[in-house]
Parts: sequence; structure tokens; C-alpha cells
Amino acid sequence: MSTVAPSPAELREQVNAFLVHEADLADRHRYDDWLALWSPDGIYWVPCNEDDYDPARHVSIIYDDYGRLEERCFRLNSEAAHSQDPPSRLCRIIGNEHVSHDLVGDVRVRANMILVEVRSGEKNVYGARLEYMLLPEGDSFKIRQKKVVLLDNDEPLGNLTFLL
Amino acid sequence: MTAVEGQDVGYSSLIEEGRVHSAVFTDESIFEAELERIFYTYWVFLAHESEVAEPGDYCRKSIGRHSIVVARGTDGQVRAFFNRCRHRGTTVCRYEHGNAEFFRCPYHGWTYSNRGPLIGVPFPSRYDSDFDKGDIGLVPVPRLDHYRGFYFASLAEDGPSLIEHLGRSADYIDMFTQASPTEKIELSAGVSKSNFHGNWKFVGMDGYHVSFTHKTVQDLQVRRTGNAESRKTNSDRAPNLTVDLGGGHCRLDLSLTDRVEIGKATSSLIGEIPDTDAGRQYLAAMIERWGSEAEAYAKIRGSRDVHVHVWPNLQLIGSEVRVIRPLSSGYTEVFGYPAMLGGVPDQINERRLRGYEWFNGVAGFGSPDDREVFERNQIGLQSDKEPWLILSRGLTKAEVRDDGVVVGNITDEVTQRAQLRQWSKAMR
Repeated sequence: MSTVAPSPAELREQVNAFLVHEADLADRHRYDDWLALWSPDGIYWVPCNEDDYDPARHVSIIYDDYGRLEERCFRLNSEAAHSQDPPSRLCRIIGNEHVSHDLVGDVRVRANMILVEVRSGEKNVYGARLEYMLLPEGDSFKIRQKKVVLLDNDEPLGNLTFLL
Repeated sequence: MTAVEGQDVGYSSLIEEGRVHSAVFTDESIFEAELERIFYTYWVFLAHESEVAEPGDYCRKSIGRHSIVVARGTDGQVRAFFNRCRHRGTTVCRYEHGNAEFFRCPYHGWTYSNRGPLIGVPFPSRYDSDFDKGDIGLVPVPRLDHYRGFYFASLAEDGPSLIEHLGRSADYIDMFTQASPTEKIELSAGVSKSNFHGNWKFVGMDGYHVSFTHKTVQDLQVRRTGNAESRKTNSDRAPNLTVDLGGGHCRLDLSLTDRVEIGKATSSLIGEIPDTDAGRQYLAAMIERWGSEAEAYAKIRGSRDVHVHVWPNLQLIGSEVRVIRPLSSGYTEVFGYPAMLGGVPDQINERRLRGYEWFNGVAGFGSPDDREVFERNQIGLQSDKEPWLILSRGLTKAEVRDDGVVVGNITDEVTQRAQLRQWSKAMR
């Protein structure tokens, strides 16, 4: 931990490179490589119905700890995940990033995402606000929390078994 | 396009013992008849009392294409109304849930109390003297009744009572609530909404598909429990059962391979009772309520293995209250409410939520694969050169008990035949 803290501009650049890399792994269904980005205390949260609440008392679309993330990737890697056979074709743009430090040294990122999914003759567009808590590691990061606030999280949805 | 075109009656000719015609799932005129003869006639599940717990609480629901407001009036009574202003038909309730003393139409400001009466009409002087607000309150659904806090509505003025309609399925509503030491559940954790391009009747009870559609779930269960028995719950040699309860109600009985023990890993979708202070506290409360440890475990197992379809639109599965919303022959919405238990430590309900999300919802490890199959069914059924589907599994091997209940192996199509027989009766 003798590294010199990056300047704000360097930090923004590192965060941007990381988010673009993560987006690319998710779009290409590289599940094991995507899982390797996570910290063992990571939480992958896609809220349901509302944007913020106590997940101990309210159902979520996804509320994965690392163990369940690993199960998710195991399932998607298997031959029998019918809802991703064939896999969705995905393309996402991450933008409007806002980077800050919190008190314990994690990097907080807010960003917007537009994701286009094509599968079974249908094209779906998902808009979401992203919130990350990133643990600095060298000149990159591990994900401690990724929260995906879908604009339509209170509407009937179809198949969200790909990585958001 | 179909065998039934031009016929006024004769839907029952589409169901034979052991097979069903694909028009039952694809024909839009049949769907319109289903709305009238099933969803606008029979008792359908509407809401749970916990969704309108306090005076003034309301929730917006639907019955077929009808938008319905369920409201607990300031007098404490639960009522259900068509969500339609008597003036020009605008919906008066905009939000899915909330608390309000009155509903005001946004169009011309007509205002109704949460008990239904019209209490305000702006600029009344231009109406004639015989214009009587007392005649034009929100229209109540013809019949509303509840069983153990589950509110059902019937749009038919007359007919069997709710308890007559529920028949034997009422026992499983009891069992569902008995994992709570206070026998109370609450739909306080929100709703997981999904849709699929397929017929509503695909959301049935099928014990045969599990090893194939849900192979990944079984693989994960085996990884988690270290026990290959998880793969053997739904085979022709498993002791588990399919049960026709009569009246279209049916269930899968998966309790015969389920064992409940504190701290013991399980293939149950709810997960084990944790060997923690909260887990032991829960078990102690259940023993206090049910008299012995054996009985407490039996109630917990009974609840998580209920797996019942209360015909036509309600299922209780594991921790889920699942409501089927038919919108066309080829489009359906499914609303899943994880039921929280009354009188238990928070950690127990939190685990129910995480267990719920593991299988259910649009990003779970189970339900999306069902959805995939339902959509492929709907596409496949368009090819109706040979229109009959085969539902003969266990037809002569299932046991018909003295009380009329039919019981088959878990992979038998007892449940599908139970529902289609009732469908045939309702559609006559």
C-alpha cells in the first residue's frame, strides 16, 4: 500500500477504464473474467419496485453476495440455462460518471447506463442509474458493491438473466 | 384457423381424457370466452389483507381487463371497486398502493370517499334537481370475501360461496400460513412482476419438467447440499405426488423427500433454518405454538412444500404468493409476492427473501427458464397441423381415492388434467 494516491484526473481515468472493461466482459458473457473483478465481500444489487430500501425487508430483482454471484456465473456457464440459450446479444454504453472518495477510502461512482439487448426476435432497451463502491487495488479496482437502478424496476419485466 | 371457428359452444370438445387441442392456448376468441366464463364468473384472488392493513390503505389490482381498487375504509372495512369514475370513466386511483381518505378524478374533480360514495361534484348548479350523488358511487365488485386474509372477488352476482369454491384447497392456504407461529403472513416485501408471450394456463403445476427445465437449479442444489438426492425429487421413482383436489385446484406434494432440521442444508427453495440465535428463536416459537419439535418441523415442511394452485389465478409455492394475470391468449403477467411470516425474527424473513430471489423473478435461477419454455410453447403451438397435445401420463396409473381426490406420481399429468377438466366445465 505504498502507492501514491492518484490525482483526481488519474482516478477518473482509472475508473472509466475499469467500467468500460467491466461492461465489455458483461456484454461478451465472459462470466469468469467478470466474476474476477469482484471483491469477496461484494454485493450485486438490482432493486425492485423502488430505487432504495432495506433489502432485508423488501424483495429485490437481484441481491447477490459473492457466493451467489459465483452460482450465477456457474449457472450461466452451464449448457442448461435455457433462458440464455442462445445468449442475449448485448451492447451497453456507460456515461455521465461521477467519481468521489468515501471516508474509508473506497471509490464511489455514479453513472448512467443504456443497454440494448436482442434475443428471440425482440429488442429491449434498458436505462439504469449505476452506483459502484470500488476498492482500489494497484491501478485498478475490485467491486464491493454494484447497484443497478433500472428505470422500469416497478414494471413487469421479461428475461434479465444476462449480466446487468 | 381453428377447429372451433363459427361454433358458439363446444369448447369442451377441445379437451379429451389424456389430450388437449392447442386452440385452447392460442385462439383469441377462446381467450375472450375465458375472461367472461372464468375470470368474470368464478372467485379470483384479488389481494391480501396485509396490503390494506390500516384504515385508508388502498391497493390497485386487476381482474382480467378490469382495474380494481381495494380499499380499507376509514370504518375499517375492506371493499373493492371498479377503478372507473362514474362520470366519464377515468380511473380514479393512479397509484398501486397508498393511503387516502378519498379518490378524486383528475378530469372534472369528482370525488369519492374510500368507502365508495360520491361526495363531491364541482359546480353542481348545472345539474337538474333530481341529480342524486347517492346513486353514483364507485361501483363495488359484486362479491368480495376472504379466507384467512386472502381476499377473493367474484364478478358474478350469485353462485357458490368462496368457501365452497375453495373446497379442499383451503387446507393448503391454512398450511401456507402455519410456518408462522402467529399463523399470519404479510405481503409487505413488495412484488416481483414478470411477463411472457404465452398463454396463462402454462402457469400450472408440472412435476415432470423439473429435471430438465431446471437442471441448473438441481445442479446448484447438489453443489450446495453435497447430496445427489436433490436430483431425484421429481422422477418416476420418487415418492412425491401430484394431486387433483377437485374444482381445478391441484398441487404437487414434494414433502416426501423434504427433511427439516435446524442448520441442515436442504434442497428447499426457502433454505434451511439457520443454526443461529434467530433460527433457534424461530424454532422455539414454533414449538411453543404447535406443541412439539416434531410438529413444528412438520408445519415448516408443510408450508414450504404447499405448492398448490388455487384455480384459476392463485398459486402458493414455497414462500411465494403467485398471481396470474391473463391479458390475451398469447400474453400473460405473473406477479410474485414473497410472503413474510408474522411473529418471527427478522433474519428468518430476510432468508425467505434471499431464497425467493434465488429461484424466482426475472433474474432468478428457476423462473426465467420456465418463461423461456412457455414462450417456446406458444411459438410451437402455432404449428397446428397436428393440434393435439399429449397429457396421458399416469392416466390409468394414478389412484382415485374414495373422496374423489386423484393422486399420482410426481411426474404424472394429474394436475394438468385436473385444471383442464375444470376449464371444460367452466367453458360449457
